[in-house]
Amino acid sequence: MTFATMLEQMSTGMLRTVGIFVLTLIFSMPLGMLVAFARMSKNRIIKNIARIYISVLRGTPLMLQLLVVYFAPFYIWGANIGGYRFAAVIIGFALNYAAYFAEIYRGGIESIPKGQYEAAAVLGYTKSQTFMRIVLPQVAKNIMPAVTNEVITLVKDTSLAFTLAYQEVFTIGKQIAAAQTSFMPFVIAGVFYYIANAVVAFVMEIFEKKMNYYR
Amino acid sequence: MKKFIALLLVAVMTLTMFTACGSTDDGGEAATDATVFKMGFDAEYPPYSYMADDGTYTGFDIEMAQAVCKELGWEIELIPIDWDAKDAELNSGAIDCIWSGFTINGREDDYAWSVPYVDNSQVILTKGDSGIATPADLAGKKVGVQIGTSALELLQEGGKCADLAATFGELLTFNSYNTAFVELEAGSVDAVAIDIGVAKYQVNSRDEGAYVILDEAIATEQYGVGFRVADTDLRDQIQNAMLKLVVDGTYAELAEKYELTDFICLQAGTTENAVDAIEEEPAAE
Amino acid sequence: MKILEINNCKKQFGDLEVLKDISLSVEQGQVISIIGPSGSGKSTLLRCATLLETMDGGDLIYLGQYAAKDDGNGTAVYASDQELKQIRMNFGLVFQNFNLFPHYSVLKNIMEAPVLVQKRDKAEVKAEAMELLRKMGLEDKADAYPYQLSGGQQQRVSIARALAMKPNILFFDEPTSALDPELTGEILKVIRDLAAEKMTMVIVTHEMAFARDVSDHIIFMDGGVIVEQGDPQQIINDPKEERTKAFLSRF
Repeated sequence: MTFATMLEQMSTGMLRTVGIFVLTLIFSMPLGMLVAFARMSKNRIIKNIARIYISVLRGTPLMLQLLVVYFAPFYIWGANIGGYRFAAVIIGFALNYAAYFAEIYRGGIESIPKGQYEAAAVLGYTKSQTFMRIVLPQVAKNIMPAVTNEVITLVKDTSLAFTLAYQEVFTIGKQIAAAQTSFMPFVIAGVFYYIANAVVAFVMEIFEKKMNYYR
Repeated sequence: MKKFIALLLVAVMTLTMFTACGSTDDGGEAATDATVFKMGFDAEYPPYSYMADDGTYTGFDIEMAQAVCKELGWEIELIPIDWDAKDAELNSGAIDCIWSGFTINGREDDYAWSVPYVDNSQVILTKGDSGIATPADLAGKKVGVQIGTSALELLQEGGKCADLAATFGELLTFNSYNTAFVELEAGSVDAVAIDIGVAKYQVNSRDEGAYVILDEAIATEQYGVGFRVADTDLRDQIQNAMLKLVVDGTYAELAEKYELTDFICLQAGTTENAVDAIEEEPAAE
Repeated sequence: MKILEINNCKKQFGDLEVLKDISLSVEQGQVISIIGPSGSGKSTLLRCATLLETMDGGDLIYLGQYAAKDDGNGTAVYASDQELKQIRMNFGLVFQNFNLFPHYSVLKNIMEAPVLVQKRDKAEVKAEAMELLRKMGLEDKADAYPYQLSGGQQQRVSIARALAMKPNILFFDEPTSALDPELTGEILKVIRDLAAEKMTMVIVTHEMAFARDVSDHIIFMDGGVIVEQGDPQQIINDPKEERTKAFLSRF
């Protein structure tokens, strides 16, 4: 097998990896916001549900969570899980990352001084105006480094989709490596992850710079 | 409370969206259609099941399964699985069988088995210049083995070859054989315990003399197709088609193609015996 | 005309009675200073008046409109959110720590609330904001961000932000306490100018000389009650009550 063919084989896997990455972010970032709100809720029940959610999803391996998400519908309801593999990967990743994002958001939101809320209240801002215009932009800036870390980890974590035999770049790489008795696919996968993360780091730096107009 | 309802709503919406994009992504075939045969296999197990140069899955088991489905007029869906999750995949119905150099011995009661179609020995593979000639020479050496394989079952505590394993310096387990080979090549393990078919494939695909297989096997065993215990009807249908392929010579041709001629154990002349053996099996269960 | 009226205001934090039966009224154009030791309840009174805290009991009335009304059993019943939103437009508050929005430019800090909350014309608000900045001597800082300003400049921006809402009454919560001593003068001058323009103001302050010079009326609070109130000259120079004397002797 030539290097070019190998690369071509793995490129479909790369696309799938990017798919996991993008969809996970699309779903986990807003979901994390909801979990963060629930975690900060004054209602004790909601607060504790969120606390347990975060504790379980951060406290157990993502690999195990993927297995649970994929197989639970069958073991609990006897549901047919054919065709559910990809959805399970995305749900598993999104639920897991939402827990991490929730804690990052919470830290960010709690770091905003009370005075900001009070100034907005006296000026007549509604609660949602205060959050969207005053709190959120400042939170976004504060949590940027932590989010960058998490996003970079996600790029590498996508390889855990092999647990559900989803054919992302690492799973395909392992298969080619096995068929070709070659280490090259791992090198390709490594370079791919590195480049993907270089892109992520570059984009996040642009965001950080954009928000650096104030201190 | 409002927030909680909103939370629930978003969770449900998110799930719906996931399901929607999940079904479109997988082509949305009617998975319940009885004529679709979902073959589960380990895509890192040449020559039985692996990824070909064109990116499709192939191998002795894959081609046999494709021929079987053609014989039955069924559609085949090839589903690569993670080997550690094979039982959950099978029991949940995500796949209909495990067909991937799957060893019967030691798992007799856990699945509805087809007739054994490959007689496979477990052998020791080492570097050509290792100076290891018999399993006894492995005393004090590092031996690698893949997790979840028969070789490991034989060598681990309570296994048939545990006494041999006790003489090893160390028994190292790997997620895939390929990792074990890399370690072997790098010199961090001295030998790998492995199915002979896989071992031959490795020896032949590398430089001549780089690897050798020890003449003395540590155990012999048989491969079959594993179905859910209750799925004996499906097993019988698949098996009858397999046996037809034995009679028409497809089986032997594929074995030759994948250099497994030495290991196949079904022959046109003995097919009737094999069928008899299967028909007796339900009584044995 | 009475701009603000507070009757029998009571406030407790847990077991601690912070405000015990405080009554106060502010006429249009009046400047009232509230002085007293820390913990006397003067800041809490201001926070109750600006709806940042809810009173436990008493009335809170702006221009005859009840924000909170005592139900007769000593419990303050607040008006609907809709009414409170309207009532909020009557007052502005200048904080000790400025509380400017750090991610907004000076101009946006001043302009956003009038445009967003009061739905006023953007161009008109901008012209007014620039005029306010000129008054504060900050016309060249319109595009600066708060972190680029000194404390005194930030406090002037926060006064401009409050004035842009065209309040009927402006509250100051120790407006110079967070500033270096050499910067307090510029803030006090701004407040003096506002007093000269007959802006109605309630000022919580530790600047005794300033309170005496700028106010029409001084209230001395201690332990959650108004101990003494009246003419500024008399309170500062010739207090009647022992507690007032003891407090003023420290300055």
